[in-house]
Amino acid sequence: MKLVEAVSDDVTIVEAYGRLDSTTAKEFGERLMSLVHSGRSSIVLDLKNIAYISSAGFRALLIAKKATAEREGKLALCGVIGEVKRLFDIGAFTEEFLICPTQADGIGKLRQ
Amino acid sequence: MVAEDPSSAESSASCEIRIVNEISEMARVADLVDRFGAEHGLSNEVIVALNVSLDEILNNIICYAYEDAEPHDITVRLQLRRESVEAVVEDDGKPFDPLAVATPRPRSAEREGGVGLHFVRSLTDQVKYTRRDGINQFWFMKKLTR
Repeated sequence: MKLVEAVSDDVTIVEAYGRLDSTTAKEFGERLMSLVHSGRSSIVLDLKNIAYISSAGFRALLIAKKATAEREGKLALCGVIGEVKRLFDIGAFTEEFLICPTQADGIGKLRQ
Repeated sequence: MVAEDPSSAESSASCEIRIVNEISEMARVADLVDRFGAEHGLSNEVIVALNVSLDEILNNIICYAYEDAEPHDITVRLQLRRESVEAVVEDDGKPFDPLAVATPRPRSAEREGGVGLHFVRSLTDQVKYTRRDGINQFWFMKKLTR
């Protein structure tokens, strides 16, 4: 798991690489929480380079979503494609998140 | 290590790994699945199904199967067949049939269990639990896809 972060004014873009599973969910969740707690609660998370997400990973995503909302921010996801998209569908997580086609769409949604 | 077994007509390849009951050990299993998948040209769909299913099963065992604080071995075996891949997970934790647990639809961050097994059932083609000689054995099969 690797996270690459970029800042676009009020929005933070996080590109995630690797597996989002039991082994990586804790570190991943802690990083997103530390962003939120430092005031960066508008986050676009790009999942296009994630190989798969297990239930531990989805739990971390749901917690991050809740944390951004509590700080008047929002979590937008993009790059939900291929097997990762299938896992969102199987777990019925698709409606739980704001999912956008691209990073630019995500940034646009967060600024609306 | 991936061991070829030319003596068996039915089984074309298998591998085994033993880990201790710590979450950090699970990355070794995912590495093995990725390697096994690459060496045998398994599709991404099959590799993801194996990885997610094993993540759910092992996480369950490591978090809930043991009542002491001692280290325990967990064994994972992968077996490639002509039209499928099979996985077996064995642990010496308390008897637990995950298939007897109802699978609720995921809806909130607070929900535990349930969702993981829903993934296993959805991503695999057959699952089976047996308890023998103090060992839980969870077996599943995934048909190969191109």
